[in-house]
Amino acid sequence: MFLFEVVLNGLVLGGMYGLVALGLNLQYGVARMMNLSYGEFFMGGAFAAFWMVALWKLDPLLGMILSVPVSFVANWVIYRFLLLPLIRRSPDQDALDAEVILVTFGLLFVFQGLAIVNWGGEYRSYSFLAVPVKVLGAEVALNRLLAFLAACVLAGTLFVVLSMTRAGSALRAIAIDPIAARLVGVDVQKLSALAFATGGALAAISGTLVSTFISFSASIGVVYTLKALIVIIMGGVGRMMGCLAAGLLLGLAEALGGYLVDPGLTLAINFALFLIVLLVRPTGLFARG
Amino acid sequence: MNRRTFVKGGVAAVGAAALPRKARGQTVPKAIRIGYAISLSGPFAPGAQSTSWSQYKLWAKDVNDAGGIALKKFDRKVPVELIEYDDRSQPDEVIRLVERLILQDTVDLVLPPWGTHMNLAVAPVTNKHEYPVLFFTATALRIRELAKRWPYAFFPLAQPDDSAAPLGTMLAGLKSQGKIKGRVAAVHVAEQTGVELHTSFVEACKKNGIEVVYSKSYPLGVSDLSPVLREAMQTQPDGFFAFSYPTDTFMLAEQSQVVGFNPAIYYSAVGTPFPVFKTKLGDKVNGVLLWGGLDHKAPGLAEYRQRHRAMYSRDTESGAVGMYATVQTLQQAVERVGEIDRRKIREEIATGTFPTIFGALKFKDQLLIDPWTVGQWQNGEVVGVYPAQKPNEQPLLFPKPKW
Repeated sequence: MFLFEVVLNGLVLGGMYGLVALGLNLQYGVARMMNLSYGEFFMGGAFAAFWMVALWKLDPLLGMILSVPVSFVANWVIYRFLLLPLIRRSPDQDALDAEVILVTFGLLFVFQGLAIVNWGGEYRSYSFLAVPVKVLGAEVALNRLLAFLAACVLAGTLFVVLSMTRAGSALRAIAIDPIAARLVGVDVQKLSALAFATGGALAAISGTLVSTFISFSASIGVVYTLKALIVIIMGGVGRMMGCLAAGLLLGLAEALGGYLVDPGLTLAINFALFLIVLLVRPTGLFARG
Repeated sequence: MNRRTFVKGGVAAVGAAALPRKARGQTVPKAIRIGYAISLSGPFAPGAQSTSWSQYKLWAKDVNDAGGIALKKFDRKVPVELIEYDDRSQPDEVIRLVERLILQDTVDLVLPPWGTHMNLAVAPVTNKHEYPVLFFTATALRIRELAKRWPYAFFPLAQPDDSAAPLGTMLAGLKSQGKIKGRVAAVHVAEQTGVELHTSFVEACKKNGIEVVYSKSYPLGVSDLSPVLREAMQTQPDGFFAFSYPTDTFMLAEQSQVVGFNPAIYYSAVGTPFPVFKTKLGDKVNGVLLWGGLDHKAPGLAEYRQRHRAMYSRDTESGAVGMYATVQTLQQAVERVGEIDRRKIREEIATGTFPTIFGALKFKDQLLIDPWTVGQWQNGEVVGVYPAQKPNEQPLLFPKPKW
């Protein structure tokens, strides 16, 4: 029974990892832009949720009414006015990657600095749905379960949209070869901007949900960008279900490793798993072809 | 006597003869310039903001509102001016910036960065340049040795072994009264302070005949601590001790409630006295033991709390109170010396007694004598519990009410 509880908790934790990575997977895997300021929108979502509770004693999830559209628009603006000029002038994809990383790295500091100055740098935390629920006889915290379910639903939705709709096919075409996609009549700029902005909106959603059970501060963004990056590389860039699966695998390894070996080694186990995947399947577990 | 000292001496002698008793020849400084490099961004920023940076700002405002620091030598009050740099949570950066403050900005005094290893990185630099600094946020077993090498470095925080010892005696006392069986679970964050507190605690337990039935670590930045709590719970301990950092402190408290872990004694370390801990837990904070503590009725503390609230619209925490008190100590030392003579200021800190909002501070071998080591949330506020016989020390609330 105890082992089952550990497994379940691991999966729930893994769902959170998957959730955090989904948005960046859209930005990096589909729109082909490595956005290092991704975590700042996660942080923004967390703050919006926090203010809902702290200032107005409202449900933190209502924070998404504010943070999701703001994050969507902000990311669209970033794509349209900061990244598009780079795309236009870069001779090839490698040069573009380097420039995008530099620009978004700068944005990271701008957003983090603004948050620290305006909202303060101290730890923030609140309590929301911190109650146990029984799932198949084992106990999980409701707030964590919520994040897990959101991860499954969002990953599933993205998977369906990308693989079964016309716009999804176009997006996949862009991800594989933007130039060829344009040749067959895909509006690359518009769709990429849409994918990039949606990725930003997902960052705000994941920030909201994760803030219900993990404390955060204005400088937390970069930590989650890195977490998300590991999950994406492991799952296969641009693969939504792969992203979820990689998250679950990491969570499971962390929980089982902590239980069977030692909780002090959970981080080491996660990175060992990451290394093994990189060695065996460098393009990710669920990479194309 | 070489030529330079001879000339200097000669000039001084002539000057002394020509001028009246007060050193009127020296210009009164426009401001006392105080510099610090601290983590305003990066992983240490939240702790630095809460405990140190906010207190420097508040103190400077308080001092300047009162007209400045009184310098007897010039017979007037001189305002303070803060010069700050962001060390971005990097030890090499903090060293470079403190050197810059001393050599390039030629500040009058230096305030410490935040965190044990940041402080220990800076201490040799400030010591070399003979700047007296009170390193409040540093705790390590090595510090007693290091203090001998660095006469200009002061360490007002309880060191790990002193912090753990009262916990051992507390448990032994409860055991001899038959209130507990004497079995405890202990976990720590895999970081130097966590490790040293944990090791010291395990030793203190051994010395007092207390059995540590569960002893594990977890990495910094852990995302789920429920497996650790469930395992600890299975050993049915009388007490649970977590030598933790803020994010895990908050997580442990929340997840203990979720898994229904209700030990009679519950202790956690860094972050436990933070206002956010109480915001998060509400009345459930009562009975939680913590690292630190304070004299909650110290003179001036209530007024300080009001000023803090006015400036930051949030409550202070016991660590921040201690930090403010160390800056007060520096201020009092400067006032007693009456001028910026860092050698004399160092002597004054080393030998004087300083009434502060954290109680009276006195140092021996540059370590604070009898610092607070264990506090507890009681009736919604943090009070000091150990060491015994401190002013306004409160009796232990036992057993801890259920979450």
